[in-house]
Order: sequence, then C-alpha cells, then structure tokens
Amino acid sequence: MNSLLLIIVGGVLVNNFVMSKFLGICAFLGVSKKTETALGMGMAVTFVMAIASLFTYLVQHYLLIPLHLEYMQTIAFILIIAVLVQSVEMVLKKTSRSLYLALGVYLPLITTNCAVLGVAINNTTAVEGGYNLIQSVVNGTAGALGFTLAIVAFAAIRERLEIGNMPKWMDGFPGALIGAGLMSIAFQGFSGLIH
Amino acid sequence: MQRKLVVSSSPHLRNEGVSTRRLMLDVIIALLPTAVASVWFFGGAALNLLLVAVITAVAAEYFYQKLTKQKTTVSDLSAVVTGMLLAFNLPASAPWWIAAIGSVIAIVLVKQMFGGMGQNFMNPALIARTILMLSWASLMAANVLPHAGQWVAAAGADAVASATPLGENPASYSLWQLFSGNIPGMLGETCKLTLILGGIYLLVRGVIDWRIPAAFIGTAFVLFWIYYGTLYSVESGSANVLYQLLSGGLLLGAFFMATDYVTSPVSPWGRVIMGVGCASVLFVIRVYNPSYPEGCSFAILFMNVLTPLIDKLTVPKPFGYVKPAKPGKGA
Amino acid sequence: MSEKKNLRKIFMNGILDENPTFRMVLGMCPTLAISTAVNQGIGMGLATTFVLVFSNLVISLLRNIIPEKVRIPSFVVVIATFVTIVDQLMKAFVPALSQSLGVYIPLIVVNCIIFARAESYAFKQPPMASLVDGLGMGAGFTLALILLSSVRELLGSGTLMGAQVMPASYHPMAIIIRPPGGFIMLGLLLLVVNAAVKAMQKHKASRAKEESV
Repeated sequence: MNSLLLIIVGGVLVNNFVMSKFLGICAFLGVSKKTETALGMGMAVTFVMAIASLFTYLVQHYLLIPLHLEYMQTIAFILIIAVLVQSVEMVLKKTSRSLYLALGVYLPLITTNCAVLGVAINNTTAVEGGYNLIQSVVNGTAGALGFTLAIVAFAAIRERLEIGNMPKWMDGFPGALIGAGLMSIAFQGFSGLIH
Repeated sequence: MQRKLVVSSSPHLRNEGVSTRRLMLDVIIALLPTAVASVWFFGGAALNLLLVAVITAVAAEYFYQKLTKQKTTVSDLSAVVTGMLLAFNLPASAPWWIAAIGSVIAIVLVKQMFGGMGQNFMNPALIARTILMLSWASLMAANVLPHAGQWVAAAGADAVASATPLGENPASYSLWQLFSGNIPGMLGETCKLTLILGGIYLLVRGVIDWRIPAAFIGTAFVLFWIYYGTLYSVESGSANVLYQLLSGGLLLGAFFMATDYVTSPVSPWGRVIMGVGCASVLFVIRVYNPSYPEGCSFAILFMNVLTPLIDKLTVPKPFGYVKPAKPGKGA
Repeated sequence: MSEKKNLRKIFMNGILDENPTFRMVLGMCPTLAISTAVNQGIGMGLATTFVLVFSNLVISLLRNIIPEKVRIPSFVVVIATFVTIVDQLMKAFVPALSQSLGVYIPLIVVNCIIFARAESYAFKQPPMASLVDGLGMGAGFTLALILLSSVRELLGSGTLMGAQVMPASYHPMAIIIRPPGGFIMLGLLLLVVNAAVKAMQKHKASRAKEESV
C-alpha cells in the first residue's frame, strides 16, 4: 500500500513526465492552447496509459521474458500501443458516442506520444525486475494524471497570456518553452521527495 | 480599495500607472522596517545586496524598455519592490553578482518577456531566488550568524557556517530569537516583528487581502500542530508549531509574496485555496523532502502555476465566460 | 550535375530551411532531455540520423508495395526495427553512452521527426532523394543538439565534452543542466534563431529589391 502511494506521488509530482522527464512534450506544447482541449487530451492519455501499462505488462512477462525476446521490447510495445489506440477508438465509436466525441480527436495523436511508450518501458526498469501488475497500472495512471495536471495548468496559463500583451516575438514556441521552464521550476521543489 | 481589488481581474493594473505607483509605495513602506532590521542584523553586507538588487532591477527594467522601444515604466516603482523582495531572499554571504543576476532574471525573463507589469504568471523575485538556489546552492545557503548592531561581522564569523534554523540538523533557538530575527537566515526572512508590522500595514491600507495570509498561516499552524503535537518547547528543538511558523520564509511569503495580485487568484475562495495550497506544499517539502532546507518559495511558485486554473474554476461565471470583455482589457 | 545539385539542396534543406529542431520544432522530448552534455547530444544525434536514413530508405523502397491504409503501422514496424538495431549496437559498443541516454534511445521510435519524414517525404519520393533527406534532417537535428548541449554544458557545468573550459573562478549555473534549464535555454535559442532568420530574410529581400532596381 505504501509503495503504491509512493508511486502515485512520484508519478504526479516528483517525476512529472512533462516537467522533469521531458516525455509527451509534443502534446504538451501542441495541445495546450485551450484548457478544455488540454483536459480532453489529458483524459485520453490517462485512459490509454492505464490500459497500455496493463497490456505491455502481460506481454513482457508472459511472452517476451519466457521466450527470451527482451530485445524485441521496443517493437512489441509500440505495436501494442498502436493497436490499442486503434481499438480504443473503434470501441468508443461503437459504444459511447459522447466519450468518442470528447476523446476521439486526441486518440490518433497518442500513438506517437512518447509518454505512453516511456511509461511502458519505465514499468519494466523502475525497480529490479520491474513493477508488478498492479504497480504498473498505478504507475501508468499516476504518470498520466501528472501529465494531465501539467498540461491543464499550462493551458490555463497560456489562455491568460493570450489576452495579455506578451511581445510578438515570444508568440508560439519560444514563449511556450520559456513559460514551461518557469513552470517546471515550481515542480523542482518535489525532486528528492522520494527516491 | 479593498472591494475593487476583490472583484477585478489580476491584469487590471496595466493601464493604471498612477494607482500602481501608489500601491507599490505602500508595499515599499511596509518592507522598509524589515530592510532596516536586515541591515541591523547583517550589517553592511545586507545594505550592499539591497542596493545592488534594487539598482539592477530598476536598470534592467529601464534598459529593456528602451531597447524594445517601449514607454519606460520604472516610475511605477514595481521594479524597486521586486529588487527589495529579491534581496530579502538572499543570504548575507551572497556575492553581489548573485543579486545582480537575480534581478535581471526577475525583471527580464519573468516579467518583461511575458508582457511586463501585471502579465507575469509567476512571482519574479521567487523565480529568481529559486533559480539562484538551484544554480549556486552553497552560495545561497542561509547559514550566516547575525551580528546585531555591528556593521561588519567579527573576523572569521562570516566564514563559520552555522546551522540554519531549518534543514538537516536544526539548531535550537529561543522563541524571542526566532521572533526578533536574531537567527541565521535570508536577509528579509528573519525578523518576524517587522514582517508582521509590515503585513498589518498592508492589510490596514487595503493593499492585500487577509484571506491569503490567514489561510496560509492558519493551515500551516494546523498541519504542524497535527504533525508535532507541541505548540512550543525548547527541548523539542525544531519539532514544534511556533518554531516552524517563525523560521524560514513563511511569514515573508505569506504577507508579501503569496499575496502578489498578478500571480494569486482573484476570487475570495480562490485566495483561500491559494493560502491552503501554499501551506500544504510547504509542509510536505519541509517535512518529507530532505533535499531542500526550506519549501516556502517552491510552495508559492507551485500555487502560482495553478492560479490561472483556480481563477477559471472559482471566478463567477459571467466573468470567466466572456473572456474578451475582461475589465483589464482596454479599460 | 543538376541531379547532384538537387541532392545537395535536399541535404541543406534539413540543416537550414526545415531544420527539424529550430524551424519545425519537432522531436522536443529527446532534445530537451539529453542536451545536458555535448557527448550525449552527439550520440543522440547520430543514433537518430542512423534510424532516419535507413527508415527513409526502406520506406521509400517499399512505397509502392505498402497499401495507403496500413502505412502508419508499417512505418512503426520499420522504424522500430532500426531503433532496436541501434539500441543493441550502442549497448554493445558504447555502453556508457547508452546508459546515460537510457530510455531515450528506445524512445527514438516515437520521435516525430522520423514519422514526419516517412509520411511527408519518403513515402512519396525515390530512394536516393529519401536517403539524402534522412541524412540532411539527421545532420540538422545533430547540429541543433550539439549547439544546445554545448551552451548547456558550458554554462551549466563549465565544461565541453567533459573537459574544463571555463576559468576556475566561474561558478557553473547548475540550473541550466536541470529540467527548467532545458526548456528555458531552448526557448532562448529559438528566439535567437528566429531573429537571425528574420534578419537574413530582410537582407535577402532588400538585396532582391536592389537587383530589380
């Protein structure tokens, strides 16, 4: 139980994907102009990351390791994620129209969101022998929630900067990057909280 | 005044140069007793750092605005406030160039590059302090013993690192030492007497809202009370409520940094959330994070990050809804 | 001759006009994460170039065989294969570098530069041009990484390639090699590059005007 709490705090605050591990930066910079879309992206990532953690765990422990195919991890994982994203999209389309409309547009973008692959690999390397099944899913979900927190807060900041009078030359990526840098300073306070 | 601040959105100061100047003057008046106290305790070093920080901040603002061909706004005195607050966040042993770099970062990188007065989304002095701390940890360590009333520290005393009030092996200090400020620490953090006086002045003048400091200090009180269970005792060292409240940057932060309008929520409830959040993060970092001796600046910065979101969630509907019609815009 | 000239133009395009880092702003994750030291920048740049060149070549060769509908999964398989090769090679020959780049080597798979080139270039162009495009993009990415990591290592550690460069009196500004420094330095570098591009365009425009007069 305690170890799960540590994983959650670690994923959301200490090792925040965006702010300290630089994973999912493309989505973080690209889909953070409006709070609502940022929230949609965050939820879609959370959804996929939780399921991806589950499936990559199963494949790693019941397929790759028994067959001594660990070096195939990258290929196997990215394929799982690609297939997963596709099937989630199809299932949502058939079963929940509203959820599909809310998350659908973000789903294709998630295959190349390196945070998903990052967490799947992290699950196998974070501790000796990798996280167990529950820890993996919790780690994936917590990491995704950390991503959601960062992207939603950042979107709210960008909305405010949008109506302000930031100099023209700061528009777009330079301003977004420097803004993200200032934001990540606040997250540095948590580094060292757990090891 | 009070009401006006409660209902308008944070960028409202933009086109009101005159009222900004008056507000900043009030803040400077409130900070002055603490500045005097810092010079009393830390002597010439404190005065040097204060001067370097303020002059660099004003110069940085002036030259940035000249260079980018804008109207200069140094007369609104906000750069003076930023410089003073930055110096308050430096230890007496810091070299002068640290104060200068910090001021340039605060004014140019944090404030002007994001649009100037009223547009920065993080507190400039705090970002600068944290950047300095993460860059030059040993030069930023607050371990200089105060030398009350002496212009220069007794020979060798500066070099002797004494235990900081917070951190791994906290020294024991009496309640009076903690309150009067006769302890090692950042220049403007140590003297609680003058900080509280300044805070009361700002409250009375309606410059700051009581909610943030009250929620901040109140929540910190409760959290440390639950954790330590003792209000104060000499034997418990740092493991008691009053020691925690009276050491580090808590009071400076609660009265002067967390209350900065530009980077704190607008609505009354938003301000309560701000205070509670600051105290909670501060508590977590102080109690559970061994890598930093003090978490106050991180705590406030973390809540700065969440401020636009808190505003979005707590500001009454018609306000957050019709974005282009925000009173700050073109008013 | 014109063929050669054309290939040179494709190569230079990746370094200047469509520089993946500074102009297209792609592949931010590895750029920010590993640019704390120059040797890591070079390592990541070369590894990515290797994958870019071969995936571009193979995808271009297969462009008439792969059906439009399954092209994305096919790209994934091709790219992942070369990433696995480079990962294994680095583990075997440069274990220390491989260790310090860590998870960011397998993550080359999801580097958007490679996807973007596969989709927008290699899938439509002949093999030779695609290969050169991969080389150019890789070189542009590597140069950008070297530039960013030099600045960060120099200011953040006072060294270059691990050798002390700054005078002993320089106090390294450690935050530059921590995460906030990555974001801020890249943002500042982008500002400089944008200003330089603007100045160059202005210069070109004024020269064109003079010539036409």
